[in-house]
Amino acid sequence: MFEFLFKYPPAAYAKGHIVFLAGWPAWSLILVLLAVVLVAVQWRRAPHTRLTGARRWALWLLQTAFLALLLLLIGRPALSVATLKPQQNIVAVLIDDSRSMAEPEGEDTRLGQVRRVLSGGLLEGLRSRFQLRLYSFGHGLRRIQKPDETGAAEQATHIGEALRSLAAEAAGLPVGAVVLLSDGADTGGGIDRDTVAELRARRIPVHAMGFGRERYDRDLELAGVELATRALPGARLTAAARLRHSGYSRGCARLTVRDSGKVLASREIVLTASEQSESLVFAVGPAGPHRLEFALQKLDGEQNPHNNAIVRLVNVEDLKPRILYLEGEPRWEFKFIRRAVEEDHGLQLTTILRTTENKLYRQGISDPKELEQGFPAKPEELFAFRGLVIGSVESGYFTPAQQELIRDFADRRGGGVLFLGGRHALAEGGWSRPPVGELLPVALPERKGTFHRDRARVELTAAGRESLICRLTEPAEANVERWQKLPALADYQEAGQPKPGALVLAQLESPDGRRLPLLVTQNYGHGRVALLATGGSWRWQMLQELSDQTHEMFWQQLLRWLVTGAPGQVSGSTPLPVLEDESRVILRAEVRDKAFRPLRDARVEARIVGPEGQKETVWLEPAAHEPGVYQAEWKAERAGGYSAEILASRGEEQIGRDMVLLRREDGVAENFHALQDRELLQTLAAETGGRYYRPSEASRLAKEITYSEAGISVRETHDLWDMPLVFLLALSLRFAEWLLRRNWGAV
Amino acid sequence: MRLTLLCGALLLGISLLAFQGRFGRFRYEVDNDDAPFPPDGNEKTEFVFARLRYPSVRFAWGFRGNWATDYWKADRQFVQGVRRLTRIHTRSVEQVVDLDSDEIYNWPWIYAVEVGHWDLTDAQCRRLREYLLRGGFLMVDDFHGTWEWENFMASLSRVFPDRPVVDLDSKDPIFHVLYDLDERFQVPGIQYWYSGRLYEKDGVEPRWRAVYDDQGRVMVAICHNMDLGDAWEWADHPRYPEPYASLAYRIGINYIIYAMTH
Repeated sequence: MFEFLFKYPPAAYAKGHIVFLAGWPAWSLILVLLAVVLVAVQWRRAPHTRLTGARRWALWLLQTAFLALLLLLIGRPALSVATLKPQQNIVAVLIDDSRSMAEPEGEDTRLGQVRRVLSGGLLEGLRSRFQLRLYSFGHGLRRIQKPDETGAAEQATHIGEALRSLAAEAAGLPVGAVVLLSDGADTGGGIDRDTVAELRARRIPVHAMGFGRERYDRDLELAGVELATRALPGARLTAAARLRHSGYSRGCARLTVRDSGKVLASREIVLTASEQSESLVFAVGPAGPHRLEFALQKLDGEQNPHNNAIVRLVNVEDLKPRILYLEGEPRWEFKFIRRAVEEDHGLQLTTILRTTENKLYRQGISDPKELEQGFPAKPEELFAFRGLVIGSVESGYFTPAQQELIRDFADRRGGGVLFLGGRHALAEGGWSRPPVGELLPVALPERKGTFHRDRARVELTAAGRESLICRLTEPAEANVERWQKLPALADYQEAGQPKPGALVLAQLESPDGRRLPLLVTQNYGHGRVALLATGGSWRWQMLQELSDQTHEMFWQQLLRWLVTGAPGQVSGSTPLPVLEDESRVILRAEVRDKAFRPLRDARVEARIVGPEGQKETVWLEPAAHEPGVYQAEWKAERAGGYSAEILASRGEEQIGRDMVLLRREDGVAENFHALQDRELLQTLAAETGGRYYRPSEASRLAKEITYSEAGISVRETHDLWDMPLVFLLALSLRFAEWLLRRNWGAV
Repeated sequence: MRLTLLCGALLLGISLLAFQGRFGRFRYEVDNDDAPFPPDGNEKTEFVFARLRYPSVRFAWGFRGNWATDYWKADRQFVQGVRRLTRIHTRSVEQVVDLDSDEIYNWPWIYAVEVGHWDLTDAQCRRLREYLLRGGFLMVDDFHGTWEWENFMASLSRVFPDRPVVDLDSKDPIFHVLYDLDERFQVPGIQYWYSGRLYEKDGVEPRWRAVYDDQGRVMVAICHNMDLGDAWEWADHPRYPEPYASLAYRIGINYIIYAMTH
């Protein structure tokens, strides 16, 4: 209809612009228009005895509109649009050949629909106007001669890579347009900006035609699992699982995590929102690489049962992080923290206790000389630890340089610092002043008398219910109850107001009924900080049954949290530890000296061992603009598990090493990208100047893509005065006036 | 008639004594009622000298051997030293505790004197065992010779039937947490003034012994054949020799700091 009325298709108007061929200057047209209006106004003022008021205005409007239309036509309006020259341009047709295109859609598959559309006139229409090149794509781009050469067998969909390859292949060729026939279910992480920018620079429009359903009627999907990639032996981890479902509202699903087939944890989930996040807590095993499979039990009638499982890797590091605990006075909390941590073979607690004004008692030291002078004064000495606990000790006990070190411990070294409440702690110890005051997750009260030797009950906050530090029992509801039943603390301290960004995990109730922060955490610089506003959690040990492990568990979890993520001097990583039908790996290493300053002149290598024991060494190069960062790109050619040992050295000095785990899982990606991603296709088309089409609109595509500035094009001017719409409008105006006059008896 | 009355009075006296021993009414409990109470006696502190009140055995007329020996002067004089010589926040006044309720779990360090005469009930033994395994610490002192040792063990072996009592090695951290106490000697009680003997009964050789937990930490520190309590109590007396008092203080302080660090 649009093309009948306006003579040309919408694409022509979208691409072109209106011009007036009469050559009159614009001001002359305005003058004439004004004159016409004046004449019409004069006419309206002339005596028309039988017409008054609104009727005269209506007739005036109709006549003025008609005159304006005539004036417009005198200007000779025309459409100026760039058009591809026939048979001189290439149009590339890209057919998605990934496994998701084999999904059934009605009686056919998506690929079958593509073939039908192509053979139904689209190919013929394109061939009649352009030189045609056919491609199929999945992992990469492949030139084909006929649509039949596709088989929906590719295990991935990399639209961005296909377009990038096409742009490279067709560099210097007159590519007029790209026709992309796909479900848009990209498994390569989307289309990068550089590719889109290149297409825009070359003015190549991508016209996307989307195939496949956009949602399932009944399906449950494990859309993602967030999990720490490193852990200490025996640690408990929380996995944040993202579930999507349709058609199972208020149903139940079971989420299970397995390590080599052994069930580590399992829980039932009630399906509420169409997308929801759930946590699963489990204990990871001994040191070594762990391939964990998270799976949702299949529900009856699921349309895609293959998107219920995800694999994640956890590197349980064979190390015993050291924590330094400085206590300013003998107290029971100190003893019971030590006892709790002694039972944790994944942590090593070194303590310095001020027994008298002039004596220190050290425990857990590596050699008799260690910490002989007390709290470290040099960064390399302090930064050998990954966690730091400051007990009941005044800030004045530390030199200004040592206070700077404490801040740098979290900020630069990336360690964890825990502040405890006590007679000389927090506000009582003058800790509100910088530099350490900046580190604290609370704004301490600016007064004394904040420490009270009175009992206080504790309770979890909403954030604490989600925190692994506070998880004493399962399930989460029982954990909340467990906290409520804990014996009261022996003492408490007013910690002040939590800073923005800090998380209050637990609070206490003072004898006068006030709710005060008890356990507060926050990230600071590269590290993390926690505050526990009491020195009296020892009652959780003494006032509960011997078999009760609450006190031990809490302290082990708190101190493990403190050192989790605290890096060594060499810290390796990769953005995607689990490659789903991918092979490209980016290895990255941060290398720092003993004071944890970036090392720019290190030699960094990755010794990679593949799934069948094959070995390869890759050298990492310094990254631009990131001091101390080295990286390399590498390809995991085969499916299976890889380990990359990253070693850094400088001259003869070995700086350190780290281990990065990788896994390539094949035949997985397409399971999770089986629906049409219309949004991606529409965005791609819009950003490159193309259009999104449904298969039913295929007949228009060949003609509409003619209007393009890419390739070899010519600018054409098409008259618009003879548009059917103009005549219809003119006739309608005159007929409407006649009809009104006749009704009002003014003919 | 007179004989009947005499026998009745005798029986009544014996019954009263037995009642006292079993249920906790003790002769020394009221000895110092007229003593001035220190102004900071109710201060809330981290450490409190907790003296264990326990039932004693009867073996003769009169009353010998009980929880309140040296009470309260030894306690208060000793904590003065603890306050002066360490950073432990200590209350000036002791706390009397017993094993008859869960209140004991609020006092992680307890001192028991003259345990050669204690006679714990089964329930008290169970509670003491639980207390020690949870992390509590018991120091026992001022009992001498074979008979008292056997009587002490009669109750302790019901607390820990499965754990041996061992002699403490001088290298044990308990002798080094604050003071290095490699050179130790017998600390006599006040009887040294008039007898001139360091020992009592047949307890000639001082023995520092202990019961350990599964992690090798001392739970029960046993000072046998010595009287640290008297040394604390009479440390301010010119007739009591200073070296004994000094050693008694050092051992006591080491035991407290050990209990607060292990």
